[in-house]
Amino acid sequence: MADESQEITLLETLDHLLDRGVVIAGEAVISIGDVDLLYLGLNVVLSNVDALMRSGQK
Amino acid sequence: MKWVVIGAHLQRDDVGPVAEALPVSGLFLSAVAIADDRPLADRDLIVQIAGARAKLLDRATFVAIRYGFAVRDAQEAETKCAAFAPRWRELLVAHRDEVEMTLKIAAATPAARPDRRDFSSGADYLRALHDSARATDIDPKFREAVERTVVPLATQHRWTNRDRSSVELSMLVRRSNLEKMRNAGEDLRRTFAKVPFLMSGPWPLEVFADDHQQ
Repeated sequence: MADESQEITLLETLDHLLDRGVVIAGEAVISIGDVDLLYLGLNVVLSNVDALMRSGQK
Repeated sequence: MKWVVIGAHLQRDDVGPVAEALPVSGLFLSAVAIADDRPLADRDLIVQIAGARAKLLDRATFVAIRYGFAVRDAQEAETKCAAFAPRWRELLVAHRDEVEMTLKIAAATPAARPDRRDFSSGADYLRALHDSARATDIDPKFREAVERTVVPLATQHRWTNRDRSSVELSMLVRRSNLEKMRNAGEDLRRTFAKVPFLMSGPWPLEVFADDHQQ
């Protein structure tokens, strides 16, 4: 349960880093042009919701 | 070498020694230097920046810059950020003593994802996707409890339907109220044991600094 909690905390932190805050010109190019980052961003959001659901079901 | 920018700060002392301070129109950008050929998608770098962000928030509230913005030097930072500086200064002065907290709640019944084949145009499909996210809602009793016990601890709040599976409450909270906020979250956990939710924070000024969210 502790590992899952840490996983949620990390995912939530990354979700905030990648999806919140002020957008400056140029940021969007990186998100669209860099497949790896885009993949990570999507993965974080999806995993975050999944982890949250699993946590709630326990 | 290039600089990955983390946030905008009111004072130079708010940044060091966690990161380098790049002066911009009387404010200071926190930034971390990396090699030119290091990709911004490097996972270790992202985790490093996330860690620095947390340490910076311990020092003082700042305006978060979304990850991915990098500059070659202070001159480029000034050129690209000067127009934002007055607004950032206003936010930093007004909310010096506040941070953001987030309450993410799983939808009571996740809305079905629209099927692309049911739409004749891409615009209609995107509209349906947007509408399905907006239609997402949570247990009304839980929402009422949040409005009654959590929201009064915030100075500002905003409900957002981020996707089809969750609803999010963003709050501006005085640092002195953080403990009460966490306690209110624990009370919710005890009262609504079957509702999946996550209270997180403190975060820098993110939602409340992003004009696109206004």
